Amino acid sequence: MPATGTSPSVPLFDLRVEPEDLAAVERVLRSGRLEAGEEAEAFEREFAERLGVRHAVLVSSCTAALQLAYLTAGVGPGDEVIVPSYTFAATAASVYACGGRPVFADVAGPHDLGLDPADVEARITPRTKAVCAVHFGGYPAAVDELRTLCDAHGLAFLEDSAHAPLTPPHGLSAAYSFFSNKVLSAGEGGLLATGDDAVAAAAREHRERLGHRLDDVRAAWVRSRLRRIDADVAARRALTHRYRELLADVEGVSVPYTDAAVDTSACYVMPVLVDDPARQVPVREALRDRHGVQTSLLYPPVHRFTAYVERLGELSLPRTEDAAARELTVPLFPHMSHADQDRVVAALRTELAA
Amino acid sequence: MTALRENEIRAVLDCFAGGWLTLGPRTQKLEEALAGRLGVEHAAAVSSGTAALHLAFLALRTGPGDEVVVPAAGGEDAAAAVRRTGAVVVTAAVDAGDPVLTRDDAEAALTPATKAVVVVHPHGFPAPAAAGLRALCDERGIALVEDATRALGADGIGRAGHLTCLSFARDRQLPVGEAGMVAGTDAELVGRARLLRSHAMTASTWDRHRGHSYSYDIVDVGFNYRIDEPRSALALALLERLDELVAARRDAARALHAELAAAGRGPLWGPDRIAAAAPLALPLADGSAAPVKL
Repeated sequence: MPATGTSPSVPLFDLRVEPEDLAAVERVLRSGRLEAGEEAEAFEREFAERLGVRHAVLVSSCTAALQLAYLTAGVGPGDEVIVPSYTFAATAASVYACGGRPVFADVAGPHDLGLDPADVEARITPRTKAVCAVHFGGYPAAVDELRTLCDAHGLAFLEDSAHAPLTPPHGLSAAYSFFSNKVLSAGEGGLLATGDDAVAAAAREHRERLGHRLDDVRAAWVRSRLRRIDADVAARRALTHRYRELLADVEGVSVPYTDAAVDTSACYVMPVLVDDPARQVPVREALRDRHGVQTSLLYPPVHRFTAYVERLGELSLPRTEDAAARELTVPLFPHMSHADQDRVVAALRTELAA
Repeated sequence: MTALRENEIRAVLDCFAGGWLTLGPRTQKLEEALAGRLGVEHAAAVSSGTAALHLAFLALRTGPGDEVVVPAAGGEDAAAAVRRTGAVVVTAAVDAGDPVLTRDDAEAALTPATKAVVVVHPHGFPAPAAAGLRALCDERGIALVEDATRALGADGIGRAGHLTCLSFARDRQLPVGEAGMVAGTDAELVGRARLLRSHAMTASTWDRHRGHSYSYDIVDVGFNYRIDEPRSALALALLERLDELVAARRDAARALHAELAAAGRGPLWGPDRIAAAAPLALPLADGSAAPVKL
């Protein structure tokens, strides 16, 4: 059956709504108290408990949380923060929002799309204030090495945990995303988690000053969904293992990370790398047009965007550019059927053999 | 506190049940409806009134070396937004007996470095000089920003400003929770606020550059100041009874005025000004304000 780009038969992501989510929202709407209040505070307590961290500060987006992470790490004018380019732009943009300057480091390679600690170390200068790692796709970055490196140089270690809602902070603080398509979804929302009392207090003050509050309607919704996060992540991991088995003998494509790493990941997305970068876009179009399979490209490298070239000049990050030129994100969501998964794999097999 | 009606609760629940929570058709409808209500062509719904003010000054590209004139009364939120862009706030004195910015007040504060003037509609009362301030700004080639974050529903707001900022916070005329809007007469400025609302992401430039049909470029340092669809759904539903809510505020304000006048605490503005306002509070001679309760 031919499918259109606007209504794919196998969507990249699908948000399943349960009756208890709607009931939680309805209770807040009937209370008439929609602003940040009891639900937001209860969610902060429950999320902090789930992470095993002292403080959780609920905010309007992960971008807002990153801004608070940098501000509370003392990032200001003249300061540099080392970040990956292989991420959504907010990781870097939020450094500018604090008056600082992002410095891009390369990823480990096609097997691991997280920061390469050796490249991070090479980019440390007297102006470096912090390092922010991204847990790409939910797969933990090299946190032990990065934390050790930061400690040795007196830098704050921060984490953009937008993809990894179950990964607690390993350094000063970590920023989480509850954007619509994330593992834990509030539509728009984010959170800063920290074990540091002073960071938490300062983050709460910045939240008020900057208008970054999240209202109780969304808080009630995301709180309801938090109760299912373990089951959701277990389903994502099982589907990811199954994808890896099914893709093992498909020619022309590789899958990053290891089977063991899957069980430490929230499995936010399913990235695959086509061998030949020339096939990235044609395969993507064929999946959409001939097979009704929606895909995405994570991520166009931040250092290649116009705004960053204007500010930082032409940079070279070969491993980031290689991964970005070959990556395809294929559908993954907790209630995805095996039949749909088979269809995605068959489509990839057909198109890569063509 | 405004209790929600069944149709309003249903509008939000239907939106959540549909599962599409990010910017979409409800937000577009809200933007069209509010632009229509203000009598302007352009509007971008955002995450808060604070975000609306920040985006207004980012859109105007105020920065170090620029001055922005802000009235002494009620200008705190706008001043904070101006400072976030690195520009300097120049405070314009206002008449203590009628604390809204006039053309003369603003003119006295202008310098060659002035990039914009902010007119605040305090406590839901429209500043009568808005049109005159726009004329002044046009003469000087600078921008007028209306801080209407406390004045949705007041008569005549939004028509003078290049940009107008609204808030839908819990204690305002349209009590959505957290949300706001940037609207205005200037397509380019509202367009820039819209771009910066969502990370300055654009498809077109990147497409041309790469020959890709569905990737994007980022052309500036933006933010996530997006509203979401459930809040837009609620705002749209509440907007249907905004006139009713404003009328109730006027009635309550008139009663409060009579009560305060009888007690010898004479509010600064009486029934004539209340008739054009969407009053949140009545300012008093001692500089404080008595809240109008629904």
